[in-house]
Amino acid sequence: MIFLFIGLPLVVAALLPLLGKLSKRFLPDLLANAVFLVLFVLAVTSGRQMISQGPVLKQLDWLGEALSIQVAVDGFSLFMLMAIALLTLAVGLFSINYMEHYGAKANYYALLLMMMAGMNGLVLVTDLFGVYLFLEVAAIASYALVAYGLEHDELEASFKYLLLSVIASAAILLAITVIFGMTGSLGFAAVAEGLRALEAKAVVGFCSALFIMGFGLKAALVPFHAWLPDAHPSAPAPISAILSGLLIKVSGVYAMTRIFFNVFGLTPALSQILMYLGAVSIVVAALLALGQKDMKRMLAYSSISQVGYVVLGIGIGTPLGIAGGLFHLLNHALAKGLLFLNSGSVQQATGTRNLDEMGGLAKRMPLTAGTNLVGALSIAGVPPLGGFWSKLLIIMALVQAKEGALAVVAVLASVLTLWYYLLIQRKAFFGKLDEKWKAVKEAPFWMSAATVLLALLVIGLGLFFSAVIKTWIQPASDVLDQGIHLALGSWGF
Amino acid sequence: MIWHILLLSGLVIFSILAILSKDLIKSAISLAVASLLLGILFFQMQAPYAGVFEISVVAGLITVLFMLTIALTKTEGDVRESRSARIIFPLFFVAFILIDFFVMKGLLQKVPALPDAAELGAFGDVLWKQRTFDLVGQLAVILAGVFAVLALFRKRDKDE
Repeated sequence: MIFLFIGLPLVVAALLPLLGKLSKRFLPDLLANAVFLVLFVLAVTSGRQMISQGPVLKQLDWLGEALSIQVAVDGFSLFMLMAIALLTLAVGLFSINYMEHYGAKANYYALLLMMMAGMNGLVLVTDLFGVYLFLEVAAIASYALVAYGLEHDELEASFKYLLLSVIASAAILLAITVIFGMTGSLGFAAVAEGLRALEAKAVVGFCSALFIMGFGLKAALVPFHAWLPDAHPSAPAPISAILSGLLIKVSGVYAMTRIFFNVFGLTPALSQILMYLGAVSIVVAALLALGQKDMKRMLAYSSISQVGYVVLGIGIGTPLGIAGGLFHLLNHALAKGLLFLNSGSVQQATGTRNLDEMGGLAKRMPLTAGTNLVGALSIAGVPPLGGFWSKLLIIMALVQAKEGALAVVAVLASVLTLWYYLLIQRKAFFGKLDEKWKAVKEAPFWMSAATVLLALLVIGLGLFFSAVIKTWIQPASDVLDQGIHLALGSWGF
Repeated sequence: MIWHILLLSGLVIFSILAILSKDLIKSAISLAVASLLLGILFFQMQAPYAGVFEISVVAGLITVLFMLTIALTKTEGDVRESRSARIIFPLFFVAFILIDFFVMKGLLQKVPALPDAAELGAFGDVLWKQRTFDLVGQLAVILAGVFAVLALFRKRDKDE
């Protein structure tokens, strides 16, 4: 069953361009969304059942013979699979209406499914080369999706993204090569064992630096963030939602966390580096977001800032910090997905992304304005929404770990976040309706359905946060916590 | 040993030429020569499959694709290139040489003999039997590339 997470999107993606010849819209819409729904249902039903007794290793059999295709499922990977399937489903529904005017829907869904297969593969693999390979699958699909509109800005942003992403991949591949050269192995467990047997302190230090650079670029942490404010706004809105909501977290945060916690082991020095990288990202990107006039660009800077919170939380390395970081990952994925989808609705209705040209749109687009407010307040950390609880957990963990200065930074940056989100809300939705927006209409059915679904989920995450933490976050954070205890302090840095 | 040093020096020199040359054709040819030298190095280090792929794909196929693309591209006015590459690149290069000199020696002293590892064997065995999952990943990379080309070079329908 678990192999469906990689196989199903791959097979349907391969078929879609052919089926798209039979039916340009209906079949691609139906098939792609059916895949997203099936995978989401699988993650929350059989997936949870599968890991009820702890992490499992699954091997694929073909005609009774075991193939060397192995995946591992634990609380952390299942949590990511669920988040990927959930946001991709909302994005898929939104795309039914939104991607009409871009054309070649079959091709679009094929790329989206490839990106999903890449992310799912990355989450499930058990070795370092698999991480690199599936990272590239998701990345290649995302380059094409960023440039999907084929306008000058989109192509330029995609090219910039590609170049910086290739540097990231090169750093990651170099680290993997050095590790393979030292240990003769690529599997997570074998590498961890091999490095310990060799007492390879210098190798772990050198490769950690390369991984921080590589995955830091993928996660767009400051100072590796230059590509994101161009790439994410240029993509079609549903793709911006996936890129900001998921891709930077899966190919940056997840991969880095998995390697640092479960292979190298989080050392005190690594923990400090991650926390400070996170804190710098939070503050710098929040300040940069304040000065933006382009709605999607502001959201893109906000993504860098919020990923900073996730890395800060996970970097603390205490159970509370990890749980806070992971919960913020989920909150941000859903809320930022929602905000990017709304920005798409606004752009489609008005033809602009410039906040100064908008105003009073709430009168014409009440659903979009309402759901936008929910997403904005959640990310800004206003109770009782999900973002409040995750930020509270992170701040409590910082105080517990005696990192008072970073806790103050996290609180103050949260105020900045609220400030720029209220700016979006005031400039775009509140105030007097401009004459030229009199004819603007609410977003079509599927677009509204997707944003309402996400808004309800964002509210639900806040109201039922303890259940969510118990069911999804705790099993994921336990996996990482065990990794720390195995390796803490064994490298001497 | 002397051959290795000569080949490695040539590899570095032609790689730098590929980066710094202003003429795209010269860049492409320098890259091809660099990868040819790398291919020979692979052969010398008893990695014939890596050598064959390096020479046929990187030195051969990719160079042909570069040449074709350059030939098919029209020049539309001069684009001013940033000069910072000429300053930043040598700085990075020197930094890299220093890291190489001081760090790599320490690393290499510890490199264990590889053959005791589980993932070694005949090329075909490793590729088809031990690294089957990588083939799935490779297939996905190729598919993603094909869809990317289809998407980026698509013709827009009239009604769109």
